[in-house]
Amino acid sequence: MKIKGFLKDVTGASRVTKARLGAFAAASKQPVTGDPIGEVAQTWHPGSMELKVVDIRPACKTAKTVRFVRTDGKKLPPFYAGQFISLGFLLDGKLICRPYSISSAPFEARQDDSFVEITVRRSKGDGLIADYINDELKIGDTLTGTMGLGQFYFEPLRDAKHIVALAGGVGITPFASMAKEIAHGTLDADLTILYGSVTSDDIVLKDELDAIRSDRVRIVHVLSGDEPGWTGERGFLTAELIKKYSREDNTYFICGPQVMYRFLREEIVKLDVPRRRIRFEVFGQAKDVAALPGYPAEMKDKTFALTVVRGVQEDVIPARADESLVTACERAGIVLLTDCRSGECGFCRTKVLKGSYFVSPENDGRRAADKDFDYVHACATYPLSDMTIKIPIV
Amino acid sequence: MKFYKDHYDVIVIGGALAGLSSALMLAEKGKDVLVLERHNLPGGIATSFVRGGIEIEASLHEMMSIGPKGNRLKVGKFLEDMGVDVEWLKVPEAYHASIPGLEVTLHPGLETFAKEVDAAVPGTYEKVLKLLNLCHTVFDSVNELSIHPMSKVKMLLKHEAFVKTAGYSTQEVIDSFDLPQKAQDLLAPYWIYVGSGFRELPFTIFAVLMADYVGYGSYIPRKFSHEMSLKMAERAEAMGVQIEYRQHVEKILVKNGRVYGVRTQRGDEIHADYVISAPYPNKVYTSMIEPKSEVPEGAIKMVNGRRLSLAAFSVIMILDKTAEELGIRDYSIFHGDTMDTDLLYRDLAGLGPYRYLTCICHNLANPDATPEGTCSFSITTLPRVDGWQTVSADDYDRVKHEVASQMIDMMNKYLGFDLREHILECVIETPMTIAHYTGMWNGCIYGYAHTMEDHIVARLQTAEEEKFIEGLEFAGAHQISGDGMGPAVTNGRKAAKNVLDDMKKREAAK
Repeated sequence: MKIKGFLKDVTGASRVTKARLGAFAAASKQPVTGDPIGEVAQTWHPGSMELKVVDIRPACKTAKTVRFVRTDGKKLPPFYAGQFISLGFLLDGKLICRPYSISSAPFEARQDDSFVEITVRRSKGDGLIADYINDELKIGDTLTGTMGLGQFYFEPLRDAKHIVALAGGVGITPFASMAKEIAHGTLDADLTILYGSVTSDDIVLKDELDAIRSDRVRIVHVLSGDEPGWTGERGFLTAELIKKYSREDNTYFICGPQVMYRFLREEIVKLDVPRRRIRFEVFGQAKDVAALPGYPAEMKDKTFALTVVRGVQEDVIPARADESLVTACERAGIVLLTDCRSGECGFCRTKVLKGSYFVSPENDGRRAADKDFDYVHACATYPLSDMTIKIPIV
Repeated sequence: MKFYKDHYDVIVIGGALAGLSSALMLAEKGKDVLVLERHNLPGGIATSFVRGGIEIEASLHEMMSIGPKGNRLKVGKFLEDMGVDVEWLKVPEAYHASIPGLEVTLHPGLETFAKEVDAAVPGTYEKVLKLLNLCHTVFDSVNELSIHPMSKVKMLLKHEAFVKTAGYSTQEVIDSFDLPQKAQDLLAPYWIYVGSGFRELPFTIFAVLMADYVGYGSYIPRKFSHEMSLKMAERAEAMGVQIEYRQHVEKILVKNGRVYGVRTQRGDEIHADYVISAPYPNKVYTSMIEPKSEVPEGAIKMVNGRRLSLAAFSVIMILDKTAEELGIRDYSIFHGDTMDTDLLYRDLAGLGPYRYLTCICHNLANPDATPEGTCSFSITTLPRVDGWQTVSADDYDRVKHEVASQMIDMMNKYLGFDLREHILECVIETPMTIAHYTGMWNGCIYGYAHTMEDHIVARLQTAEEEKFIEGLEFAGAHQISGDGMGPAVTNGRKAAKNVLDDMKKREAAK
């Protein structure tokens, strides 16, 4: 073919090859290992760290605050106030993971005396690890932790400058982190915390929060119990109460027990604020899966054979229909790592090779294509027959 | 407990598009393949994530080399041949160019495109079409030559346009068409998909880019790029490939100049005759080969003699109104305050303000991409690694938000409203994000810059001499075809072909 007006020579290929070889010949023979971008990523997300308990103190009559440092002497990674840490507890030789919102502030992780804290309330019988933390964990103990995780944090591009925090019980922890960060001057936002407790004895982190009240950090305690002499707000976090403490433009951050979520979903509608102004923290693991819509109730007392494939290794373990696949693995001492344990983050993404299962509709954070190919988030999935799953080798 | 077989034919490090393409092709030939992926799902950056119950595309703008059903181009055909059945949706336009003095939407089809350029810059139809036809001729040659190598004389006879343009930059060839500046500007927007300014970019690359995208249009999978990645992984497993997620390969084991396996972070030593590496040659030759003494000086000189290309920075938003309500009319908007690609390339070495942005609204190719009443809108720039290498961990969040804010401000001016008033979900992806999830060297997603010193024609010619360790192949943007999801598949196939050829050679020698 003839390219009109375009007379180029035919030696181009040889010329560019010569140029290439010339560039290599002239290059240094010293290995350059620098990956500064990867190093920043590694600083923010170092993966699983070994942590040591250095302090335990009461956060109220029924909760404790535990402080951790890294055993390798490095600083804790940067994180956003409101994020959580996933802790790994080795109990009877079995690794059990639990997520906890971080109650200390990001600046406390970045200072020279770097630490991270969680605040955990003793359970009413259903929280194995919560009780372990309150009753048995002691200074000097070591465990593993991954942070900062989760999406429950102030994003300046998206959120109103005034945060209205709707907290219930120990759900105050992410807001304690935000409050401290604002007080320290490293988070540019105003915060009003509407904090629901039953009685004043139940208020978690009361002294710490009271100490940092300011123009930017308002704390309003709301008691639902019958407490004589209480002069503050009473009742639940109703739309009316929320309105009273709102400004013109607010982003509502909601963290608390599941009953509070269900209540507030109704109340928040009455506020008539745009959807983008409302942010719920993850729901938490379903408390009573058999009560969820769509769950075949006749299954709940059954136990199935769960075949767990890791590489070419296969193990068969029992799995109860009312417990998640993660719980079944944890009971059997098979490590299936989790982060959020709410079905949202996908860290425990697992392939179902065989069998039928139930996914909690309140915790179904799966990708569309994953649903098509039977990938599940094991923390929110319950066996309804004998099953075979494939999980990562740990 | 035993998690691995005693031996594999091939270990593929990295279960992204390139690695999975290698695995598919090798499995099809009956080879025993292990894929080790560091993340907990396949695809690398060809993936999606869920925020607030909404699934969001992580990175794909548009796939090249797919082609319409019944007339698939090479990537579309390969996937079909492998039994990977992706539901492709056609992107309606090539792009909307919003550049100095021009607001023009251009559509695929060489003649259509040339007519639309002519409507904006009258009197250019003939020349633009001629240039696009030249691109197409070169594109055909590249496709044929990558499968059937031939002698130089034969090449000159059969592929004259390819041979005669090989030694020239894009700008040099475009200059010879004597086009008005505005027409040149309208031909330039896709430059960012190959990531070099036109004075550096080999015309060969520009030709393939334009012929493929403009000639045949582009496609996206209905269920985001995760659909494509997952279907490739599923198909590979169905063909007997073992894929293990969250396995971080730290070392590639070499003895007497030949690989024999890998070692993972958790300490597994796994043996194989071949290793295909997604990690960059920079990382492999400087910190992964064990022992270090097995790394020849030439390998170090080679990686030091090449320039890393582009990383990525995206602000990905779900907005609380539909595209129609917001007045967003185009799937892809290329918005810049200059179309001088060499100048733009220089600016990409900094930390902004970036002057050339690419915006995608998935709903305009896939109406169901987001829940009713919402749409997705992403703003992307592809910075060079240089600027981001200077950002410290302590400064990272501040810089990230400053850059994101600048990008939103620039698009607000174009759109005529404040995006911030509509953000339902917002994710900022940076070079660090990519390094975190994929481990890619310096967060660089584009491999090595396409330049006249690192020219695809030269890459093809010297490929044999650049094999420094027997049995070790590479698959990723750092290989011959360079960046992009389509080329990733081609790069992966090439690595598998090299392995298969070497297997045959070794078999014959026995």
